[in-house]
Amino acid sequence: MHLNTQFMWETFLDVLYGIPVTLKIVAVTLLVSAPLGFLMAVSKSGEGRVGRRIIVAYVSLIRGTPVVLQILFLYSLLPTALNYLIKEVLGLTYNIFNLDPIFYAYIVFILNTTAVLSEVFRSALATVNSGQREAALAIGMSKIQAYVRIIIPQALVAALPNICNTTVSLLKSTSLAFMMTVKDITAIAKIDASFGYNYLEAYLVIFIVYIFLCSAVQGVFHLTERNAAAYKRPAAS
Amino acid sequence: MLQVKNVRKAFGDNQVLRGVDIEVKKGDIVVILGPSGSGKTTFLRCLNFLERADGGFMEFDDIHTELKSASKTVVSKVRKKTAFVFQNYNLFQNKTALQNVMEGLTVARKVPKAEALARAKAALDKVGLSERYDYYPSQLSGGQQQRVGIARAIAVNPDVLLFDEPTSALDPELIGEVLAVMKKLAKEGATMIVVTHEMSFAQEVANKVIFMDGGVIVEQGSAKQIFTTPKEERTIQFLRRVLKDYDYVI
Ligand SMILES: Nc1ncnc2c1ncn2[C@@H]1O[C@H](COP(=O)(O)OP(=O)(O)OP(=O)(O)O)[C@@H](O)[C@H]1O
Ligand SMILES: [Mg+2]
Repeated sequence: MHLNTQFMWETFLDVLYGIPVTLKIVAVTLLVSAPLGFLMAVSKSGEGRVGRRIIVAYVSLIRGTPVVLQILFLYSLLPTALNYLIKEVLGLTYNIFNLDPIFYAYIVFILNTTAVLSEVFRSALATVNSGQREAALAIGMSKIQAYVRIIIPQALVAALPNICNTTVSLLKSTSLAFMMTVKDITAIAKIDASFGYNYLEAYLVIFIVYIFLCSAVQGVFHLTERNAAAYKRPAAS
Repeated sequence: MLQVKNVRKAFGDNQVLRGVDIEVKKGDIVVILGPSGSGKTTFLRCLNFLERADGGFMEFDDIHTELKSASKTVVSKVRKKTAFVFQNYNLFQNKTALQNVMEGLTVARKVPKAEALARAKAALDKVGLSERYDYYPSQLSGGQQQRVGIARAIAVNPDVLLFDEPTSALDPELIGEVLAVMKKLAKEGATMIVVTHEMSFAQEVANKVIFMDGGVIVEQGSAKQIFTTPKEERTIQFLRRVLKDYDYVI
């Protein structure tokens, strides 16, 4: 077996252009999903019955189906549905088929990650014992103050390892974005490979790129955890 | 100063409080005794609305309220006039000792930061923790944590301090330091309602002892009265049981 190293180097350089796209999907998804997932976690542990049912149904629908299937389904459904909405319902002339496919990637990954993060936050909130909430109320703080100052900060720290896992698996799932014609890392590698049938070399290159990216994400989270969880460390003295 | 009447509370079918009355004057040290499950904790929690009573009336200085229907404002007023010391300390794990004590001042009472800092330090000094301002709860012993809990409670200058078995989660050798702090507060004129199994504390410090069983007050009186001449059979039985462990003779 002979590897075409010249090709691998060129592919590597091409793939670098895909990194910002991949990271953009990860960043946008997290920025939208984290607050949404958090709100869902709070309302799920809160009162509203109907809201809770809807959330439970949504979470099990998303977590019970393969991401690939969600992509295939939404990518078939959304363009036509949006086209209908824009043309027939709103009466606009915008051509939805010109829309950057990255928006479909955002939608799929946001739907997915929100469901995962809502579970992550729910279990993290449950790790903060209710005694601290009562102590906050007893000392005269409002429910919201107790949440914001005592419970949420601890829940976030407790959630960090799982947020890290979620981010890493999100980063890996973005490699499926090529199915929606998004030009991310994987898509670029596939295109490069297709000219001379160098798939093996192309995949080897992006193996390394993904390993590097995932390690970087984990590194960032480890540092954050170390700093944020200072209160869990026993005294040095 | 504080008077509650006919406090009732049930959890499902379990009638835990069946009409409890209590009257507390300024400077009183009221100790509540009673077997496990008699409703002592529940009663204390009803006083600051951590638990919502099913019935009963409260007069607390200028506050007059039904316990069941007390509004948010009334609840908040009562909570600001009281402070609660928990069996499990319930310190804020993400805050240092000093921050734990300041939280009730700066956040709940909007005391300016500088004043809050001074008051928090004074409270920690009083419980003997001047060396531990910047320690997190996880870095403190049980006795130290409970003393932070007490500092957090006294820093807000409450009219009434509520203690729910403050020493029963502690190793025996740490109980003394917490009781010592409580005795000091009592001497300085604090008003306290204390649920405890520490008979020595009740005997030495309490000016009123209440014996609860089955959700009612069975007997109450001065410490001397309750410990030397209890009238009710249930009180005698209880005292005999608990005092035996302490080698007392009635
Ligand atoms: N949140 C709750 N939900 C259901 N039942 C409860 C709850 N809190 C207390 N109870 C019940 O109420 C009864 C009285 O409990 P409480 O904690 O007030 O007793 P206690 O006198 O403080 O006992 P101990 O000395 O063991 O602390 C018990 O039977 C207990 O099981
Ligand atoms: Mg109790």
